Amino acid sequence: MINVKNVSKRFENQSVLKEVHFSIDKGSIYGLLGSNGAGKTTLLKIISGILTQDKGHVFIDDSPVFEQIQIKDKVVFLPDTLYFFPQYTIRQMAEFYRNIYTQWNEERFQRLSDVFEIDIDKKIHKLSKGMQRQVAFWLAMSAMPEILVLDEPLDGLDPVMRKKVKNLLVQDVAEREMTVLISSHNLREVEDICDHIGILHKGSIILEKDLDDLKSDVHKVQVAFKKNVPNKLFDNVDLLFKEERGSVLLCIVRGNQADVMMHFKTFEPDIFDILPLTLEEIFIYEMGGVGYAIKNILV
Amino acid sequence: MFDLDVRSRKPIYEQLVDKLKELIMNDVLKVDEQLPSVRTLAQQLTINPNTIQKAYRELETQGYIYSIKGKGSFVNATVKSVNTEKLEKVKKELIRLLTEAMYLGVTSNELETIISDIESSLGGGSSID
Repeated sequence: MINVKNVSKRFENQSVLKEVHFSIDKGSIYGLLGSNGAGKTTLLKIISGILTQDKGHVFIDDSPVFEQIQIKDKVVFLPDTLYFFPQYTIRQMAEFYRNIYTQWNEERFQRLSDVFEIDIDKKIHKLSKGMQRQVAFWLAMSAMPEILVLDEPLDGLDPVMRKKVKNLLVQDVAEREMTVLISSHNLREVEDICDHIGILHKGSIILEKDLDDLKSDVHKVQVAFKKNVPNKLFDNVDLLFKEERGSVLLCIVRGNQADVMMHFKTFEPDIFDILPLTLEEIFIYEMGGVGYAIKNILV
Repeated sequence: MFDLDVRSRKPIYEQLVDKLKELIMNDVLKVDEQLPSVRTLAQQLTINPNTIQKAYRELETQGYIYSIKGKGSFVNATVKSVNTEKLEKVKKELIRLLTEAMYLGVTSNELETIISDIESSLGGGSSID
């Protein structure tokens, strides 16, 4: 269980996080999404006890994290830019991890070598970017963390490896209720494994919800009328976005699917189509709501 | 066992519920047969175990499955009550579709022909209660 309470952070005169407040249940896979420079990495570093917050609190299982060895023993953080000791081989690096993490599982480390198929005596810095990432996962999964914090984890992995890594994550979540926190801006990557998502924008959480609820709560509606568009069409509708493409009206509506359908049907449109949104679309329209919209730029 | 479309717009847990219902109603999963554990299914499909848990919970409240603590989930025998619930849903759906059909200009005579066609293909319709 991770509790983030009103955390603020500034670097010199730049405010990066403003009163961020959310919690993650044990055994959940939480996707932290956000625009570029929203403060995702800073937040993750604070949660894993690498940085301190200026204000607020972070609790893991009701204990603060920063400089608390018994808590940090349960947390593994995988940064977006990996760091390994220079000239170290995988075996030596594993040795280091074994000494740090008390829950280290040697048997698992050996078994995972079948998954990753990298020579254990190779120097890590001689491996490719994608392979280094695999090594990082290999070590992280062998440390048997209760909480795994991943910053852009699937960058640089090929589709087969991604599937393997996701599979490993899901197994650990199912088997021993590991909690996973993933940051990403590749929404399709996280859509299938996250159960909760939070969207961070300019240092504040603007949306936090169960992914399935989110998906069944927002709809894309396409309607067209042969005659003029009835002017009461959008009364009593929670409209997020509206666009006219020729005679077809495209709008994003929030609400219960049946209610939305009933509402539009009463106007007897000639074409009517209702679809759930993809996570990518939800992200784009929610961001549009806070003024971070896609503008058609002509150069 | 089955495949899900993770790229689909439909929430994964809804897809799961629908797929499992289909399997149960078509007797692919028989009464008292054990459903795959959350763990195995999560691993097979590479989706979040919590999503599967949620789908199982939903199926349980709808009466399709029952669960025994520490043993797992099993297909429920009381399909009768499930049927009435299903029937309500189908009726609602029918009303919606028929309204749409009529709106598009299908006459009630045409609809009646469709109904009698279906009836004869099902074998007289005497078994429908």
